[in-house]
Amino acid sequence: MRRNLPLFLACLLLAVLISGAVVAQEKTTVTWAFWGSPEELATHESVAAAFMEEYPDIEIEIWHEPWADYFTKIQTLWASGDSAEIPDIAFLSPVSNYAADGVLEPLDPFIDASGFDREDFWPGLLEFAMYNGEVYGFPRDIGLEVLYYNKSIFDEVGLEYPDETWTWDDLLAAAEQLTVVADNGRVSRYALGMEGGKYQLWIGQNYGSILDDMYNPSRCTLADPESVEAVQFFADMMANNFAMPDANLSQAGGDAAVFQSGQVAMIIQNASRVPVFNAAGLDYDVAVVPIPEDGQRSASAAGAAWTMSSFSDNKEAAWTFLSWLQSTDGGQAIYTQSGEILPALRSTAMSDAFLGNMDPPANRQAFIVEGENAKVGRAGMFPEWNELSGTIISPGMQTIWSGEATVEDALTSICEATDVFLAENGYPHSE
Amino acid sequence: MSTKTQDIQTSTLTNTIRQSAFGRWLGLDRWNPQQQSVAYLFLLPSLLGFLLFVILPALGSLALSFFEWKLTNTPTYVGLDNYVDLLTKDPIFPLVLGNTIFYVFAIVPMQLIIGLLMAVALNTGLRGLGIYRVIYFMPVVTNVVAAAMVFQWLFNQDFGLVSSWVWQFADATGWNVQPPNWLADPFWSKPTVAVLTVWKNVGFTMVIYLAGLQGIPEELYEAARVDGANAWNRFRNITIPLVSPTTFFLLIIQMIGAFQLFAEPFVMTRVGGGEPLQATLSIVYYIYQNAFNYQKMGTAAAISWVLFGIIFVITVFQLRFQRRWVHYEVDES
Repeated sequence: MRRNLPLFLACLLLAVLISGAVVAQEKTTVTWAFWGSPEELATHESVAAAFMEEYPDIEIEIWHEPWADYFTKIQTLWASGDSAEIPDIAFLSPVSNYAADGVLEPLDPFIDASGFDREDFWPGLLEFAMYNGEVYGFPRDIGLEVLYYNKSIFDEVGLEYPDETWTWDDLLAAAEQLTVVADNGRVSRYALGMEGGKYQLWIGQNYGSILDDMYNPSRCTLADPESVEAVQFFADMMANNFAMPDANLSQAGGDAAVFQSGQVAMIIQNASRVPVFNAAGLDYDVAVVPIPEDGQRSASAAGAAWTMSSFSDNKEAAWTFLSWLQSTDGGQAIYTQSGEILPALRSTAMSDAFLGNMDPPANRQAFIVEGENAKVGRAGMFPEWNELSGTIISPGMQTIWSGEATVEDALTSICEATDVFLAENGYPHSE
Repeated sequence: MSTKTQDIQTSTLTNTIRQSAFGRWLGLDRWNPQQQSVAYLFLLPSLLGFLLFVILPALGSLALSFFEWKLTNTPTYVGLDNYVDLLTKDPIFPLVLGNTIFYVFAIVPMQLIIGLLMAVALNTGLRGLGIYRVIYFMPVVTNVVAAAMVFQWLFNQDFGLVSSWVWQFADATGWNVQPPNWLADPFWSKPTVAVLTVWKNVGFTMVIYLAGLQGIPEELYEAARVDGANAWNRFRNITIPLVSPTTFFLLIIQMIGAFQLFAEPFVMTRVGGGEPLQATLSIVYYIYQNAFNYQKMGTAAAISWVLFGIIFVITVFQLRFQRRWVHYEVDES
């Protein structure tokens, strides 16, 4: 027996290899990449399990990295060009940047062949995942903001709750009562907590924009009167202690932290805060964001999207998974039930998974109203946007939030630098 | 040619180099190859690792600095463009260079002075020396991100502890002072970041100084005491000159470290979960931004080499000028 042991082991190995090969032939593996917290990872895992139960011949392999490392790691994988290593389906934002690099597969052929319903997305949302007129991804959710308000603080001050009739003037009037400032100037409660980076919401409501065209810009429009007026509105709120200054907000741990601790009475943020506030048992509700007199609703149609790698060896299986992820009966419902997102598909939002959900906030309709009026415009859809935003626009806006520069001066110099940047990078491109 | 003559020839050659003006300028004349060949054998494994994982990638980045590369495209050769654009056109590079120089001048002297004072205090034969050493060394091994988060809370303008002191001071004295926005104010943000960095690293300089102080012979102090020198004179004329080799070592190490500051401003002064304030950006963070936020690998590599050049020049000058102020106990003349 002992002498035969090597032979036996060799046979065993061969048997394992053959059976492995047989199993591999039966199952197609699709690698699936995303970032997220441990809670989000658990939701993703349950999505993968639900899919594999419905499609037993496709094996989903998860590639998960924390947000901070995700983009650098996936970029190095692309640089390797190795299809065995590159995830077939990846969660990305903004899609246009990566589509421009040629690492993503255009989805239109798959959409046309399968009859996938493009119209089910919120208006403008699918545009956010397009590049050069082609679809490169399916946004999973829509990151539009609503106004969260702390009902206890409103009751304590004796204010009416905000509703869809509120204008900027109503917001200012309420803010004046909600803010608490001591005689020595120390602020113990701000009316509003809102990230400075969301300033475009006010501009869009006032019919302004950052650039004349977010795909192929020819000039910066931040110094136009509509934009200046909107930015001035936000800057004044910070200067008057109505809104917590941007830097203070992030140093205090972000809007969720200051809202829970009662340091602010309202925040303007997307649906991601709902599970946090529900877990904390907060007495809150949501409303649509107040708009200027004669203004428009202008929620941002944007959301990280599922994309397919152009390097993928299993594009058919990847599409099967992708289209299942993006269906009311599949992935969309599971994510929505987890409470983490406002779904990208209107049919999912109208279903029991979202609108029919009995958990707070009571006024879920506010999300639907903002969704129906969503618009593209928060970020540029061209490869150099990150650099433009990071080196010129954001630093310039920060000088406004911190009170170093006046709105008019800062926006004028942002626009001068932006126009030079656009010209140097060859914008506008001729079609 | 026998091995022996070869050896002799090599050593003559190295001797010539070592004794040359240039060799002496670099300090090579004090170098003994016979003794050190065995040492190099022991160093070989780590030198191989250094070659493979530091030198080769570094040379790679030098090559990359002459190309335009977005990670996903084929690199295109652009000659010196990356360097020229960086030094003549880039509006942010002078800013981050200025910030970094501020950090170096704010952080390094503080670390050396406070570290030395702490070491001298601990060297007085205090009871429980080990405990103090551990306490002061703790920040060095603390995770920088965790420490930066705590400092962010301490310096929060509205609710932080440091701001509370300012408010209490204002109430007590009746002066109309308000805490600044420590981490977002263009004037205050850099010093605040420097405070965290000094707090974090001063334990390291303290431990190295403590080792240096313990190498100073007690007789010298006794002799000085007999001659009637007071504590200040003993510190000024014995301690400072005799720890100068330690100071020299720390100066070089800490200066290089300060030039490479990254995590502290990155964690402490980010706004809205995004980018840190421009007033606190360091060179290394700008390298990171170019490489991974803007996909400009060539520019990032070029900045790295400019930073290398700056550190190299400064370090060579420090080596050159050490003889003016660093006192080694063994007289070499």
